[in-house]
Amino acid sequence: MNLRDIRILYLRELRSALRDRTIVTGSILVPLLLYPMILWLAYAGFTFVSGQSADLKSRVMFKDIPLANAFVKQLQTDPRIELQTSSVPQHDIRNGTLDALVEFIPSDSPSGPSGLGANFKAKITYDESRDRSDTAESRIEQKIVEYRTKDLERRAGQLGISTAAYQDFWVDTANVSSNREMARFFLGLMLPTFLLVMLATGAMHPAIDSTAGERENSTWETVMTLATRRSNVLIAKYLYVATMSFMAGLLNLIAMMFSLRAMLTPIFRRNGSDVSISIPLQSIPIILLGALLMALLVSAVMMILASFARTFKEGQSMVSPFYVVIMIPLMFLSAPGLEFTTKLALIPIMNVTMMFREAIQGTYHWPMIGITVSVELVCIAAAMFTATSLLRYEDLVTGTHSGSFLKFVLAGIKRRGSPR
Amino acid sequence: MTAPISVRDLSKTFYDEGRGEIPAVNSISFECHEGEVFGLLGANGAGKTTTLRMLSTIITPSSGAASVLGHDVVTEAEGVRKNLGFYSASTALYPRLTARETIEFFARINQYPADYVTGRVNSLIDRFGISKYANSRVDRLSSGMKQKVSIARTIAHDPRIVIFDEPTVGLDVLNALEVQESIRQLRSEGKTIIFSTHIMSEAEKLCDRIAIIHGGRILACDTLANLRAATSEHYLEDIFVHYVKDPVDPVNRK
Repeated sequence: MNLRDIRILYLRELRSALRDRTIVTGSILVPLLLYPMILWLAYAGFTFVSGQSADLKSRVMFKDIPLANAFVKQLQTDPRIELQTSSVPQHDIRNGTLDALVEFIPSDSPSGPSGLGANFKAKITYDESRDRSDTAESRIEQKIVEYRTKDLERRAGQLGISTAAYQDFWVDTANVSSNREMARFFLGLMLPTFLLVMLATGAMHPAIDSTAGERENSTWETVMTLATRRSNVLIAKYLYVATMSFMAGLLNLIAMMFSLRAMLTPIFRRNGSDVSISIPLQSIPIILLGALLMALLVSAVMMILASFARTFKEGQSMVSPFYVVIMIPLMFLSAPGLEFTTKLALIPIMNVTMMFREAIQGTYHWPMIGITVSVELVCIAAAMFTATSLLRYEDLVTGTHSGSFLKFVLAGIKRRGSPR
Repeated sequence: MTAPISVRDLSKTFYDEGRGEIPAVNSISFECHEGEVFGLLGANGAGKTTTLRMLSTIITPSSGAASVLGHDVVTEAEGVRKNLGFYSASTALYPRLTARETIEFFARINQYPADYVTGRVNSLIDRFGISKYANSRVDRLSSGMKQKVSIARTIAHDPRIVIFDEPTVGLDVLNALEVQESIRQLRSEGKTIIFSTHIMSEAEKLCDRIAIIHGGRILACDTLANLRAATSEHYLEDIFVHYVKDPVDPVNRK
């Protein structure tokens, strides 16, 4: 290993990359601007849609309820509910011109003061496949529950019974987590996802550019005649790809941190709490270490896959499946009750994701962190060993081999041959 | 005195999934003398590029041996590359570097003394008339300009051996003449040059000795005058056809 040569080669790669629009966009601009912007747009869109559906009136028909009933009066004053009549209510619900039908089925017992029977059944007919109808059902049910509670309290009061006396027990909840902890919990759910996506996105273009790109640009032969060891070329390229990946992840983390802060702070403020949303300072080294390990692993694997491609397009199609593999752990990240166990710490990528999540939340399971780092280092070493071994295969190095990594491995098994 | 380039029974066999083993170069031997332009003349697929790629350590020989300035192409590949400049028409430049950065990068990575790199780069820029576009990115240069930068980067580290693999393929007449002129200049500086071509007139004009290569074998290797005498043909084209049509004993060790 010659550090001088690696430095020259590394700076050459970096200089070229920073002048390439695709790489600058993918590794710098997208992490810094696009994802925070998408998040902000999604948030704004969600808020707008929620507001729209909250303002939307529920068209409800009541059947067999006396008009003088107090419950009807309550409904009439609710601006979110619009009373309607229909001769074919069930048909109208299916057509979407009516949202719900509420039928009051009185019991045989004598009528109470409200005009309804002392015991009655309310049957709500709605269409769950329509949001508006589903919302109408929720609103009506809530109204009925509220009405029933108040009615019970009133009747108990008339009989001289207190609420506590007829209510045998009740549930009271107390959340011991502070608002800051809650904010970190949300950050822990969201930031690792974006960080992982960005580490992969940041590595993708440079990995293809430094391997398949060299072949497509016909500069590969020049590289092969440089007066330095090929391992130096490989290390320089690898460091360059890992740098771009790490940089993309880091820039995105900072950008997302500020974006989420701007979005979550008003929500917490609305709930009456003034909280500063931030990552604990002592977690930053763990997050940086995790990001670095992921950048090294993702870069190594992507470079191995892309080195089988002869054009940029081929490179993209060869690297894309790995991109999907990286995304799989993210699907489990929001699973309820997911704990950072030893088994999870042994699964590459998943372990770093969990490490990120816990670090953002300010939790440090040092044995798990130790296992995670060890597992990732083993994976990186394995990837590096594979990459170095591939250098021995001339047809691959010179670009005469056609086919993917899988095809190469299968052909090798078939031939049972040593490197040609 | 040992020859700067020595090739002994060099062979290269490729493996193709459909076609099986393909012998591209079959036990060739030759030597290049100090300061000469040695031509490899052959049709497409004759084995010229494979031979030159083995000499420049891009690929390794299947059997046989070759050395450049005493460095074995397999065991001392780095030493070979340090003393060798490789130019091919199919080899491109880094599009996003400027002409100056390109020459500087190749000088540095090919171990030209660090203290003299700037001076060397400036002298090459002057020599090839690159100064007007030295700070322009390569992808914005015309093909003629690129070709000058390409030659400059090939000799950026001042190698003693320069390989030109079909350097004029795809160039117009004027640019091709410029390449030929560069080769002549390099010879006058005492460089040893291996030059592969399938264009007979180029070989006639430039080469001190010519090896006729066909089907991976060297059929003849001598000066143009001696080849004329041996075949009783005047034009190189006819000499070439003479050997290719009637490949008797290969003259591998001349």
